[in-house]
Amino acid sequence: MSAAAPALELHDVTVAYGRRPVLWNVDLSVDAPGLFGIIGPNGAGKSTLLKAALGLVPLAGGTVRFFGRPLAEVRGRIGYVPQRETVDWDFPVSVLDVVLMGTYGGLGWFRRPGAAQREAARAALDRVGLADLAGRQIGRLSGGQQQRVFLARALVQAADLYLLDEPLAGVDARSQDRIFRVLDELRSEGRLVVVVHHDLRTAAEWFDGVALVDMRLVAAGPVAAVLTPENLHRTYAGHLDVLDELGRAVERGGRTS
Amino acid sequence: MSQPAGIPYNTLVVAAAVAAVGFAAGVIGSFGVLRRRALVSDAAAHATLAGVVAAFLATGRRDLPTLLAGAFAAAVLALGGLVVIRRFTRTRDDAATAIVLGVSFGLGIALLAGISARGIPGAGGLEHFLLGHTAALTAGDATALAAAAALAVLIVWLGLKEATLVAFDPAFAAATGWPVALIDYALVTLMAAMVVVGLPAAGAVLVTALVVIPPVTARLWTERVATMVPLAGAIGLVAAVGGVATSNAVPRLPTGPTIVLVAAGVFSLSFFVAPRRGWFARRRAAVDAARALAERLRAAAAGEQTAPDPRGA
Repeated sequence: MSAAAPALELHDVTVAYGRRPVLWNVDLSVDAPGLFGIIGPNGAGKSTLLKAALGLVPLAGGTVRFFGRPLAEVRGRIGYVPQRETVDWDFPVSVLDVVLMGTYGGLGWFRRPGAAQREAARAALDRVGLADLAGRQIGRLSGGQQQRVFLARALVQAADLYLLDEPLAGVDARSQDRIFRVLDELRSEGRLVVVVHHDLRTAAEWFDGVALVDMRLVAAGPVAAVLTPENLHRTYAGHLDVLDELGRAVERGGRTS
Repeated sequence: MSQPAGIPYNTLVVAAAVAAVGFAAGVIGSFGVLRRRALVSDAAAHATLAGVVAAFLATGRRDLPTLLAGAFAAAVLALGGLVVIRRFTRTRDDAATAIVLGVSFGLGIALLAGISARGIPGAGGLEHFLLGHTAALTAGDATALAAAAALAVLIVWLGLKEATLVAFDPAFAAATGWPVALIDYALVTLMAAMVVVGLPAAGAVLVTALVVIPPVTARLWTERVATMVPLAGAIGLVAAVGGVATSNAVPRLPTGPTIVLVAAGVFSLSFFVAPRRGWFARRRAAVDAARALAERLRAAAAGEQTAPDPRGA
C-alpha cells in the first residue's frame, strides 16, 4: 500500500436524486491503512457518498479515484458491505451461498465456485465467528449474525479497500465486538476500511479519521481535529436533540458504557 | 391428424412438449418470482393476444411460428411500454403494470372481435390463444415448442449464479462489476419468451399462473435456490401434463384452466404439509415455542432463587 495515490479520493463530487441534490462538492482523500468513519445525521447523504463512489448512483459532477485509478480498473481491490435492510433475508440461500457471492466477481461469467472458493468462504465465516452456521438459511439468523455474513462475503473479496454501509446498525453487542475486531485486523494488515456510521459516541474511540457529512463535507481528518464542538454544531445544527446528547458524550471524552 | 387406436403419435409428441414447456415455465418463473417480476410477466402474457391477432392480420398466415413471433413482439413491446411509463411518468410499478396489462389485453380482445365480426376467412382458432388448446398442435409445432423450452432452461442453468446474485442483492452485484441492468433485461426477455412458448398450452390469460405458481410452491419445500429451481420445473411439468390430460378427457374444456387448477392443487397441498414453511409445521413450531416459554415461566416462578437464564429472554 505504498502507492503515492490515496486509496480513496473524491474530487468535487455532487450527487442528485432527480432534481434534489443530496451531496454537494465533496472533496475527500483517505490513505491506507486506516479505519475511517463517515459520520453525519440521518439523511445527510452518508450512504449516498459510498454508493456514488462505487458507481451505484450516478454522479452529477466530480470524479472518484481508487488507488489513483478509475473504479473499473481496480474493482477487484474493493470490497463492499451494503446496508442489511437492502436485501430480502427470506431469500432461499444458505449462509455459505451468500458468502460465496464474494467470489463471483473473480470467477467471471458462468464459472461456478469450486473447492477453493468454498474453502475461502468457510475461512471468512470462521473469521466472523459463524463457521457452525454455514448451512443455515439466512433468514434464521439474528440481525447481528446477518451483518457478519455480509462482512464475511466482503472478506472473501480479499480487497485492499473496504466500504461498509452502517455495519453496526441494529447489531447486538457480541456481533458489534466481533465486527469491530475484524475491521481492526484489516487495518493492521495495511488495508483501508471506510465505515458509514451513525453513532457519534463510538466514533471517537474506533476511528483514526472521520469525515463529518451533512449534504456537504463539513470537515475531514484525524478524529481529534475533526470532532470539535464547532464542527459537530455545524453538522448537526438542524438536529438539536442529537446535538445535546453529543455534547454530553464529547464531555465524557467520547466514551460511553 | 390422429389415429383411432391406442395413444396416437401426435398426442404423445404434444404431451412431451407440454411437459417440457411446463418444466421450463417453473424454472424461469423461479427467477421471475425471486426477482419480484411475477406481475410483469402477466402484463407481457396478456399482451401476446394482440400480437397473435396482429400477426395474422399482417401476414394472412396462421401457422404457429408466425403467430408466436407476433406474440413475442407484442410481449416485448408491452415490457418496453412498462419501462417508458415508469420512467417518464411518476406511475408506480403496480399501477404501470396494471395499465399495460389492461390496455394491451383490451386491444387483443378488440382485434379478435373485429376479425370474427367481419368473418375474415381462416381466422378460426385464434381464440384458442386466450385460454389454451393443445389438441390442435401438430407434431412439428410441438417439437419446436419443446426445443424452445429446452433452450430457455439451458440459458437459465448457464446463468444460475448470475441470476441468483442479481435477484438476491443487486447493489452488491453492481458494486462487484456485474451488469445488473443487462442481466435484468435478459431475465425479463426470457420470461417474455417463456410466456410465448407457454401460450398454446395455457393461453394468454392463464399462462402466468404456470410461470408463478410452481416456483411459489417449490419455495415452500426448500430453502435453497439450487433445489427450488428444478423442483419448480417438476411441479410445472406435473401441472402442465396433468392439465392437458384432464382437458383432453373433457370435451370443449380449454387446457389453461385445467393446468392452473392442477398447479393450484399442488400449491394448496404444499401450503399445508410442506416442512417448516407449511401451515401444520408452522403451527407445531408455534405451539412448541409457547410450551417452552410456559415451561420456563413455571420454572422461574417455582424457584425465585435460581440463576437467571444467561441467554436472556
